[in-house]
Amino acid sequence: MAGIQIERVTKRFGAVTAVRDLSLEIGDREFVTLLGPSGCGKTTLLRLIAGFMTPDAGSIRVGARMLSTPTAVVPPERRGMGMVFQNYAVWPHKTVYQNVAFGLEVRKVSRGDAQARVVRVLELVNLAGLEGRYPSELSGGQQQRVALARSLVVEPDILLLDEPLSNLDAKLRERMRWELKELQRRTGITFVYVTHDQSEAMALSDRIAVMHGGEIMQLGAPRLVYTRPANKTVADFMGLVNLLPAQVVTFAGDDSMVAVGGEHPIAVALPPGTVAGQTVQVAVRPESVRLIPLSAAGTPGVVPGKIAEVTFLGNIIDCYVTLDDGTRIRAQVDSGRVLEVGQAVGVEFDSRQASVFSA
Amino acid sequence: MVRAEHVVMAGSVLALAVLVVLPLAFLGWGSVTADGRLTLENFRDALSSRLYVQALRNSLILGLATAVLSVAIGLPLAWAVSRTNVPGKPFIHFTAVISYLTPPFLAAIAFVNLFSPRAGLVNRFFRDVLAMPGLTFDVFSMAGLILVTVPHTFPFVYLLAASALESVDASMEESAQILGAGRWRTALAVTGPLVAPAVLSGALVAFVNAIALFGSQAIVGLPGRVFTLPTRIYALFDYPPQYGLASALSLIFVALTVAALYLQRRYLARRSYVTLGGKGSRPQLVDLGPARWGVFGFCAAVFVVAVAAPYLTLLAVSVSRSWGLHFWENLTLQHYRFVLLEYDVTRRAIWNSLILASATATLAVLLGSFVGWLDLRTTLRGRKLLDYVSLIPLGLPGIVVAVALIQFWLRVPLPVYGSLLIILLAYTGRFVPLGVRSANAAFRQIDPSLEETARVTGAGWLRTFCSVTLPLARPGLFAGWLLVFVPALQELSASVLLFSSGSITLAVAVYNLYETGALGPVSALAIVTMLIITAALVVATRLGRGQAGIPRGERGAVAQ
Repeated sequence: MAGIQIERVTKRFGAVTAVRDLSLEIGDREFVTLLGPSGCGKTTLLRLIAGFMTPDAGSIRVGARMLSTPTAVVPPERRGMGMVFQNYAVWPHKTVYQNVAFGLEVRKVSRGDAQARVVRVLELVNLAGLEGRYPSELSGGQQQRVALARSLVVEPDILLLDEPLSNLDAKLRERMRWELKELQRRTGITFVYVTHDQSEAMALSDRIAVMHGGEIMQLGAPRLVYTRPANKTVADFMGLVNLLPAQVVTFAGDDSMVAVGGEHPIAVALPPGTVAGQTVQVAVRPESVRLIPLSAAGTPGVVPGKIAEVTFLGNIIDCYVTLDDGTRIRAQVDSGRVLEVGQAVGVEFDSRQASVFSA
Repeated sequence: MVRAEHVVMAGSVLALAVLVVLPLAFLGWGSVTADGRLTLENFRDALSSRLYVQALRNSLILGLATAVLSVAIGLPLAWAVSRTNVPGKPFIHFTAVISYLTPPFLAAIAFVNLFSPRAGLVNRFFRDVLAMPGLTFDVFSMAGLILVTVPHTFPFVYLLAASALESVDASMEESAQILGAGRWRTALAVTGPLVAPAVLSGALVAFVNAIALFGSQAIVGLPGRVFTLPTRIYALFDYPPQYGLASALSLIFVALTVAALYLQRRYLARRSYVTLGGKGSRPQLVDLGPARWGVFGFCAAVFVVAVAAPYLTLLAVSVSRSWGLHFWENLTLQHYRFVLLEYDVTRRAIWNSLILASATATLAVLLGSFVGWLDLRTTLRGRKLLDYVSLIPLGLPGIVVAVALIQFWLRVPLPVYGSLLIILLAYTGRFVPLGVRSANAAFRQIDPSLEETARVTGAGWLRTFCSVTLPLARPGLFAGWLLVFVPALQELSASVLLFSSGSITLAVAVYNLYETGALGPVSALAIVTMLIITAALVVATRLGRGQAGIPRGERGAVAQ
């Protein structure tokens, strides 16, 4: 069992609190991503798990084993975890083979065993045949795999990854994403993954912990976090979002009505405790905004507007629509559509995909 | 049409020919001729006579011991400053810098006052006061020579090792740790190999510098009959001078230095991998606990030996009527009055040294700018060769430069030998590599597009160079100027063979006064010398700051 229990951990650097009273339970064989902008505390949390830092409060356990408390910290070398760093940290003075074999040497694995395991893990990360190379002779992607192989060869129960793909170019990043996911499925290692890239987080994770200001804003499956963000911060960080000012017309739980763009009512689900007349914000993603012919205007749920900007992006059309009251809405629609600046359109929201936050 | 770059090229070639190539050629020629015929007897004499073989051996012992001790002192200090929570880091850094700036011959004179067998203060204390003659130390020995040399050379190791330790990315070590390696294993398997090239390179620079120091080897070595290559070469100029043998010995000396520098460059080339891998994070500092006071004590001991002891001794000797255990009982300023007012050599020496140092720094940086500019901004053939030739003097100890210049100018029918000019030529030749390096670094910072913009706007080459290139490079060039000025002001190894009574320099004046045995006056003059160096440094830095012209922010923007 290699689940991680983080309980009410706090870490301060001088006046700055990097991690604030944070609790998180990570299951065995789970792939959890700590997602957030730089400075949100995600790397600090990862380094606390690795044992490079001592918490100021709280505790970190793996299974029944207590690893970190403010008074006692098991040093990194005795945690049996693996870690892949953002800059790979492949040792430039050792060959690929020596880099990968290092952890086995430390564990006093016999030479023959070690060799077999190194060969196997290099095959796993598609580096077979490069054993004798020095890191300076490898591409960024290859160095990244060496770092990965070096962590995997010791068969850790837990692998910590600190933005391992951020130094790769876009194409390679996408491929490595698949490989990582595949690797995690095959090895059954618990992955704790740090990134600021929400699409990476969604592609890889079983669960995402969105962090901000040293706290977890939301913890959940990628789809849930994307479609049902817990607050504006999460909604904003998880991709493009329109935040529309709206007035509550009637409150009836999931079948409530709010008015946007002037006096145009639309149906949304409202959180309990909302009252009629209250000002709220409706968060709706550009791809959940539909543009329909104006003739349909006047029908309930359709808000009239005028197209203000159109950008053709190949797979989609990105456009801005100005509503009657001047509110601007971003919409992303099928690239087969013909849209012109100034054209009058009806705007329809996919209310199932909209979230409402208090203003 | 004659283009500007051709003029610059021709000028640089001519200058380097006169400063470096021709003197070296004459040195080589002089070493293989005797009475006008070709012969190898100079080398045979040099390598068969016990006199010279022993000098070679002593130089090697001195160099190796100094290199090893420089690592033993410089590496722990570097580690303490860059990786631990040792208290007083600025103080440690200050110690290293002052140790380096202290002219080694002044430190030697100070240590003679403390440890000369009979009159040395510390020796007298142990022998006469404590009656423990077993604890006395004879400075006139190889051990003494090493003692006065190491303070000047350990800063090389310290500076190189500290910068290497700081540039090793924390994740390099953390990767080893998370794989199960403890602190020692990590240090042995990762940190050590990563900084070893820098440390070795520092040790080799220490070696090269240590064996070239004429002053300390003469002051401490000669009375103890510890002869080294520089002192042997120097002795060959006593009447009747043996130019051929001196040339041969010089070339052997150069071979030693060049071999060490060759190794050093190879190690330094491998150092490049320290900086590998994107944006780094600084390693966490090791908490030494109470042991940090022990480490600090070690640093303080280095300070006492390398800085406090020499300066306080020179100061004490310079104000006491008679040097001894009760020196404070009759303090006096008579030694200062003597060297400043009565001894007419002093003022001449001060002026000569100031003029020589300023002129040398200016010429070296100017020539360095030409060579650097040709290398980086033109495609002329031979520019790389020019660059290499300008770096040759790195491998030439001061005394060898002097021997080469003598060989050359004695055969040229121009009245250069014995004048201030020949010393200027020697200094400029010796320090031109520093000028080239600085100029090269300064020009590298300037994006060529800035100059191209000026050309496109219609400015000619000269105008572009004067109104764009030079102003932008000025801070870097000025740093180079200082880098030459300071050692030139205290140069002894070459001057001691080239001076005449009219062209005496500060360091030679100190050395000559020391030879007369006048310890009081020589200490006073030593203190005066240090004050002049400090004052010159302060003034030059002030001037440089005022001249730099471009505010920092803009400079940063330009550099990008």
